[in-house]
Amino acid sequence: MEKEELAPHVSEIARVLGNKIDEEQIYKELDTYLNLYRVSLETAKRSVVRKLGGDPNALTKGIRKPITEIGTSEQNVDLQVVVLSVNRKDIEQNGEVRSIIYGMVADETGTMPYTAWDADRFQLERGQAILIRNAYTKEWNGQAQLNLGNRASIEPQPQDSVRLPEGVDLPSYGPTVAKVLELMEGMNSVTISVKVLSVETRKIETPNGPRTVYSGMMADETGKVQFSAWHDFGLRKDETITIRGAYIRSWRGIPQLNFGERAEVRRVKLELPAGEDLAKPKLRDIDHLWSVGGAVDVLVAGVVVDVKKGSGLIFRCPQCNRLVLKNLCRVHGKVEGQPDLRIKAVVDDGIGALTAVLNKDITEELVGITLDQSLKEAREAMNPDVVRERIEERLLAKPIEVRGNVTSDDYGLMMIVTEAKLVVPEVRGWASKLLSEMEGAQ
Amino acid sequence: MISREVAWRVFAAEYNSSHYEIKGEGDRAPSYIVSPLGAMINRVFLAGVLTDLENIGTGEEPLWRARLSDPTGTFYLSSGQYQPEATSTLSKIEPPAFIAVVGKTRVYSPEEGTMYVSVRPEKVVVVDARVRDYWVLETCKSTLRRIEAMADAKEMTAPTVEELVRLGHGRTLAEGVVKAIEHYKELDLGRYRSMVIDALKYLLPEYQMESEGGMPEEAAEGAEEIEEEAVGEEDKEEQVLAIIQKLDKGGKGAPWDEIVDEVGKLGMDKIVLEEVTNSLLDKGMIYEPVLGKMKRI
Repeated sequence: MEKEELAPHVSEIARVLGNKIDEEQIYKELDTYLNLYRVSLETAKRSVVRKLGGDPNALTKGIRKPITEIGTSEQNVDLQVVVLSVNRKDIEQNGEVRSIIYGMVADETGTMPYTAWDADRFQLERGQAILIRNAYTKEWNGQAQLNLGNRASIEPQPQDSVRLPEGVDLPSYGPTVAKVLELMEGMNSVTISVKVLSVETRKIETPNGPRTVYSGMMADETGKVQFSAWHDFGLRKDETITIRGAYIRSWRGIPQLNFGERAEVRRVKLELPAGEDLAKPKLRDIDHLWSVGGAVDVLVAGVVVDVKKGSGLIFRCPQCNRLVLKNLCRVHGKVEGQPDLRIKAVVDDGIGALTAVLNKDITEELVGITLDQSLKEAREAMNPDVVRERIEERLLAKPIEVRGNVTSDDYGLMMIVTEAKLVVPEVRGWASKLLSEMEGAQ
Repeated sequence: MISREVAWRVFAAEYNSSHYEIKGEGDRAPSYIVSPLGAMINRVFLAGVLTDLENIGTGEEPLWRARLSDPTGTFYLSSGQYQPEATSTLSKIEPPAFIAVVGKTRVYSPEEGTMYVSVRPEKVVVVDARVRDYWVLETCKSTLRRIEAMADAKEMTAPTVEELVRLGHGRTLAEGVVKAIEHYKELDLGRYRSMVIDALKYLLPEYQMESEGGMPEEAAEGAEEIEEEAVGEEDKEEQVLAIIQKLDKGGKGAPWDEIVDEVGKLGMDKIVLEEVTNSLLDKGMIYEPVLGKMKRI
């Protein structure tokens, strides 16, 4: 243990000894026990107090508690946890700038937020198991927050001494090295290596006055992502960079990469494919898109299992473009509905499902009917739903590949399709490959 | 978020071996059947041969029963007045035909401890052989994913969802596998592996010479019964098929009595004949156009 880490213990011992002993001497004693004889901190402190003529029982003992039993006004609490995330922040206090660390910790019973009020004194690492001594709690946003102040200390523990509860996992927190396809809303301290595909400068108004934002598209070999840089890093098209300290927020349902002045951008040499290859959409699993909440310009392959009501021939309000039924717009009243074609198809890959929305042009090309033909058919049948039925007959059970932006909301995943094609899968080749793999494994 | 129930790709042999149901509690909570390999199924996507179709209801209140056969067995479908769209489509199809079905699971438990599963179609569509073949391939891949997840779970002393997810299995599947492994104690993964191998061979012309009908005979009766299949079964099926074809003079099927007489000359009794025809029905190689007549597909 370093000297500054021992400082709170030294002052605690000094207090127990009535401040009669020089702190430097206490430090030397403590250091000997700890670093020469390698006893535990607790034993060392008791021994030093006893040796220097004090009462070891006067040392403060925190009360060991599991997270779920910790209240909002603990004065002195010990807990054994895994550090889930470590974030640094500079705050201004009484005109002075100081660094603090904040994040989440977890034990078998649950998770809780923490703040360590002196970033230099605590060496915290994500994923590390530690014993925290002499922490206190305060209520913050209705829940208990753990505070590591002057008297607190941490001791490293064996990695397997804390088991995380089901559902609590490390990867979604903390400084993470991520690929584009892993990016999801709420990630902080992300380190990522990408190529800049495009960048533009925009001026925006914020509550704190006008700001300049540098935004565009970045990519690695796993996909593309929109970004906003809130500081001028001098980004240029086609350069490869590593960003440290980025964070992910959703913008219109799609995870977006953000980084500000606290982030670090370094020009690096990267073995990334050429810009035009990076710009191509990548094939993604639907359940993975579900888990990250959305993505920009991806491919999804699956089978059409439903062509929803509201597909086919529809009518829109000429003023607001909303769907109208019987020439009645719910905002503009009686209007002359404008005919349009669209498909809302459920594409299912056996593990996940999403709703793909296809506009008129893509519908016409995919199904091979025009808006005029549909109008004629519907008039002849005196039923606009014949168009939907026809589309369903054509698409149902067919393998399809769709391209577009994927967003999520309360009703699940949705893709606004920019390209769609029915695919003819090469069944025999795959079957043969799979068969030889299986027979080889036996 | 409410996520739409995914349409599982599952073979008849695995689906029909399911005897574990998780009933949804409360409003609109979905129910699932858990297959032996851990598929938590609320919705399925199927493709195969519609072999027979019958309205056991009335004109006003139709209830269509249908059998859909895949390389491993038979799915039982039932479609009534509450599924007007699917019922109307289904009723107009003349078997045999390749069809694809998107449907919900149905469970029928006549008494404690027994459970029969069937499918209530939401969507029915006539397809071509390519769509069916692609379905077989997809279902092989999907079954393999479950076999692998189950194999990993069997390696663990106390399998947990988290550990399976860490090994790279999807969360939904991991949850199903953990549930299934407790319920289906005597699971033989080898049987399911050979079922997948047979289904893959079914797609490849070079293997179809082995058994003329092209149906993998081992998997036909469902995974549970594979080992009970006798070696001579294949020959008997060949013989019966030939006889049915020979006796089907008017194109409306071979009369049952004549088939019984004819196989009797070969020394096959009625009980054996019934077993063989059942198996052929399950494989979708013959069907019953009207009661008492058999027709080759």
